[in-house]
This record gives sequence, structure tokens and C-alpha cells, in this order.
Amino acid sequence: MRLLLIEDDTTLRESLATRLEETGFAVEQAADGREGQYFALEYPIDLAIIDLGLPEVSGLDIITEVRRQGKSYPILILTARDRWEDKVDGLDAGADDYVVKPFHVEEVTARVNALLRRSGGWASSVMTAGPVSLDMSRQEVKVNDNAVELTSFEYKIIEYLMIRAGKVISKTELTERLYDQDFERDSNVIEVFIGRLRKKLDPDNEIKPIETLRGRGYRFALERDQDG
Amino acid sequence: MSSLSARLLVSVSVLLLFFFGATIVVLDSAFREAGEQAREDILDGHLMAILAAAEATEQGTLEMPPDLQEPRFGAIGSGLYAEIRDAAGGTVWQSRSALGLDVPFGEISRDGSRQFREESLADGTPLLTLSIAVQWELPDGELRPFTFKVAESLDSFNAQLARFRQQLFGWFAAVAAIMLLAISALMRRLLRPLRDIESQIGEIEEGRRQSLAGQFPAELTGVARNMNLLIDSERGRSERYKQTLDNLAHSLKTPLAAMRALVNQGRHGPLADKFNEQIDRMDEIVRYQLRKPAASAAGGLLATAVPVGQEVDRIVDGLRKVYHDKDPEIDADVAGGLLFRGDKGDFLEVVGNLLDNACKWCERRVRIRIQRAPTAGMLVRIADDGPGIPESAVEALLQRGTRLDESTPGHGIGLAVVKDIVTSYGGELTIAGSDLGGAEFTVTLPSG
Repeated sequence: MRLLLIEDDTTLRESLATRLEETGFAVEQAADGREGQYFALEYPIDLAIIDLGLPEVSGLDIITEVRRQGKSYPILILTARDRWEDKVDGLDAGADDYVVKPFHVEEVTARVNALLRRSGGWASSVMTAGPVSLDMSRQEVKVNDNAVELTSFEYKIIEYLMIRAGKVISKTELTERLYDQDFERDSNVIEVFIGRLRKKLDPDNEIKPIETLRGRGYRFALERDQDG
Repeated sequence: MSSLSARLLVSVSVLLLFFFGATIVVLDSAFREAGEQAREDILDGHLMAILAAAEATEQGTLEMPPDLQEPRFGAIGSGLYAEIRDAAGGTVWQSRSALGLDVPFGEISRDGSRQFREESLADGTPLLTLSIAVQWELPDGELRPFTFKVAESLDSFNAQLARFRQQLFGWFAAVAAIMLLAISALMRRLLRPLRDIESQIGEIEEGRRQSLAGQFPAELTGVARNMNLLIDSERGRSERYKQTLDNLAHSLKTPLAAMRALVNQGRHGPLADKFNEQIDRMDEIVRYQLRKPAASAAGGLLATAVPVGQEVDRIVDGLRKVYHDKDPEIDADVAGGLLFRGDKGDFLEVVGNLLDNACKWCERRVRIRIQRAPTAGMLVRIADDGPGIPESAVEALLQRGTRLDESTPGHGIGLAVVKDIVTSYGGELTIAGSDLGGAEFTVTLPSG
């Protein structure tokens, strides 16, 4: 899951980015509005965290521009000015949620997870599709109520696919969104991980949670539960 | 007296009354004196004619010809009378016109002096009389005293005078009325720019206008320009004030956020908890102190007209995003065309905080109703179906920084800010139970 973090305060940005990376996100960082807007419009990202009080280009302008160009990924705003006017302006411009400084990092990760889940159309914090369930806050996957032991990269793949259940995700997209930028990009690695995931989730090849579409990519194939 | 035109009209009326009054008195007395002089001359002429016509007889008395030159002496009740009396007061001769009338003769004068008098007939008809006492030489050479008297009724003269006065008053009244009308029309024209400024200031106060605009006469351009400068500088100052607070909040809170992120990087320990506690305290101070209502800085001339319905819609849309997972049913009903006169940020702060709290605490339902208040201003009522607030906690909740539930941070500060803003606008915040089952917050906001 690739996040964009636009925040001009270096200490805050770096420590927040470190914490987010620790929780398993790939994080792009931008230190001012101009750079941030460029990243927000040009990079493949799943969610943006934007500070409202930025030098060069304001956070509000970035949000407006992102939405104007038809990009629909979730946006979380960070605001120091704890005024409703700012919150309402930000949400009105196209942001989806806000966090007021000084925040607890846990609060940010919780909001980020909720927004990512929502962007895939999931309402509850535990995504359930047939026998498979995934709890984003605990980073835990269960099949038939039995916890499955996954490496962090395997977890990232199943989380990414499950949030977008029903949609075809190309290998390129998976590589782009899941690796850190400086990681070597090799799509064959994805195939290996998908193979391992299948074995762990479905050792008897009964439920077939991940479908391969030749030349197009992968799809999480199980029906979402209605209340999930 | 509050209006310039009323002052001018009253002053002009008093002046006109004085001026015309004096003119009327002078004209009237001049006319009367001239008339009376003419009367006396005519009467004198009649007396001379009578004297000329009288002839002494052998019997030692006077005799008059049957027909005098002046026909009015011959017509009964003509208004012109003549009489001659002897020294004993006996009537020697009387004109035919005086037949049956008791024309007063007055006392008999002694010498040849003329005497004018104003007397009246028995029926009250006023008379001007002229009498003269003469020594008449009889044919035997003896001198005998006689008194001649002519009298003329003043009726026609008085009628003439009355007519003159009537005309005089009529004309002056007409002229005065025309002058007053003309002056008030003139005043209206002269004062139009002032009225214009007044109505524009009214629009500024209602937030429908930013500055005074239009062509003003030379005497007022300075006033209008200075007014605009004043409004601009006040607006600028209030902007800068808000800007300063915002910048201060931003530049304090970002380091706080950084500190918190740094402190919590390691495992949570007792030291981290203490740091967090201090960060919370600083945060509260910044939040409360730097979010003072703009109302105190934005007086009447700086108010904008905030479209209430539109802003409430924006808040509700925003909260629907924020509470996407909880998905409360927010039922909003705002009276159409309602405007809040004041600072937009203040309005958003009040409604945003109260609605946010309602969404935070509600089970399922949140309701906001904004109506015009029976007097001026508006009534905002926000209700939810949450656990409600026990009556004993209401007072404490309204105090600054008091939290009802430590696990839901920010509850107390938000409410304290709402209360501050509402109070600064002269409104009131009350908390009661709602028919939905939870709490109901009622805010009255007077207009402006």
C-alpha cells in the first residue's frame, strides 16, 4: 500500500513516515506543496496524507487539483488550525477525513486503514469474504476462524487484493504499490508470493481465494459478505 | 430633534411666521390708517356741504333745503346721517336718512373745533361722527350757537377692511405653504446623498455590501472615503488578528505533533506517558486560547451575511464523510433564506462542534433544526439519541476545559469554545434532554 505524506515539518514528517513504514506501508514523502502536488498527481498512490498549512501550494489547493483531475484515492488531512472552517473547507474540497495536530500516530494509522478499507467499499473494520477474514488493525488473516501465519509481504499482497475484492490487479500495480521505491522491481517475485499465499490460505485447493487472469493479473475471487 | 430636514422645516416655519406676521401687522395698520383718513376727509366734505346749505330764518333758527346735494341724506337708513342742534340741545334739523334712528349726538362742543368720534347706533352699528360748534349770525345780527354733526356708518368700511385682511391672510398662507413645500423638496434633494450613505452603511452592517460606493457631492466625498478607509483598516486588522492566531496555532502545534511522534517512537514507558500528558496540556492551552471568537474583533461594520442553510449542508456533508463507518442518520432542517450576521468561522465553529459531538455520542440519529427566533436572530437546536448528559454534569460541562468523559478527548474544549462564541454574540447555550433520548443543545443567536 503506497501512501503519500505531504508535511513541511521535517521532524514530524520523518517520524510519521517511519511509523507508517513500520506498520507496513510504502511511504512517499514531500516537504512542500509544489513537490507534494506533483507526487499527488503523477505517482501511483493509494492514499494521501496532506497537511493543510504548506509552503508554496496550500494543502487545500492540492486536494482541489487532485479531485479536479479525477483521482479518487482517499485523502486524510492534517490540520494544526483546529477550526471548523478549515475542516469543512478541506472536506468540501474533497478530503475524506481529518486528524488534528498534535495527534497520536496510532490515530493516523487507524484513520488510514479505515479510509483504505472504505475506498474498497468495505464498511466494517474486519473484511470478511466467505471463510476468509482480514482484520486491518491487527494485521491478521483468518480462514475458517483459524489464524494464518503470513510474512509481512504476503500480508500486504492479500490486504491489497482483498480491499479491492472483485477487481483485477496487474502485477505491475502490485509491484508499484507494495515495494518501497528503491526496492528492485521484479514481477516474478510477485508470482512466487502469490503461490505461497495460495498454499497458506487454501492448502487443499478448495476455496480458491485468488484467481489468476492470464496476461492481466490477479483477482480476489470470493464474494464479500453482505455485512462485511 | 433627530432629523436635519425636520430641524430646518421647523426653523423656517418659525421664521416665516415671524416675518409674515410682522408684514401682516404693518400692512393692515397702513391700510386701516389710509382708509380712516379717507373716511374723515369725506365726512369733513359732507359737513361743509351741510354748513353751506344751512340758512338762518327770521325766527332765529336754521333752515335746510328739502333736497340736499348728497342723495344719501335723503334715503332712510342709508348709513349717512346729519343733524343740527341748538345750544339747548334741541334738534333743529335732522336729515331724512336719520328718521326713526336714534343717532347719538354726544355732548355739544363749545367752539369751532372739529371733533371726530367713534360711536354706535342703538343696534350696535359702529359710526364715525364729526361735529362742529359754530356761532351763526342771524338776520338780526345776533350770534347764536349751533352744533352740526354728520355721522357715517362704518359697516362698509369694516367690511372692506375684513375683505382686505382675508385676502392678505390668504395670500400669505399660500405663499408660506408653497415656500415650505419648496424647502422640504429642496432638503430632500440636498439630503439624498446622506440618505444614500445611511442606507449603504445599513447594507454593510447586514453584510450585503463591502464598502461605500457611488458619486457623492464634494462635501461628502471626504466622509465616504474616510469611512471606507476605516472599514478597510478594521477589516484588515481583524484579518491579521485571525491570521496571527492561526499562524501561532500552526507553528506551535506542528512541533507538538513532532514531539509526540518522537516520544512515542520507542516502547511506551512512564517517561513517554508524562511527556504525552504535558503535550496534551499544551495542546489544550493552544486550542482554547488561540480559538477566541472572531466576533469581538468583528463588530457591526465587519459582519458578513452567512447563508445558514448552505453552511450547515457543508458541515453535514463533511461529517457524513468523517463518520462514514458509523453512518448516523443526520436530519437537517434549516429555515429557508436564513442569514447569520457575523463571522463565518464563528458560525461554523458553533454548529460544527455541536454536530460533531452529536455524531460522536449518538446511537443512530442526529437532528438539527434552525429556525428564525420569534424576535430577531435564530434558534439552533441539535439533538441526538445517545446516552444524554446528566443534569448534574451540565454546569461542569460548560466550564472551560472540563471533560465529561476522559476517554473522548476534546469534548470539553469544543463546548467551551462554542459557549464563548455564543456569549460574545449575546446569545445563549443551554443543554437539556431531547425527545430522541439523548442530549439537546439549544443555541440562540441574536442577529448581529
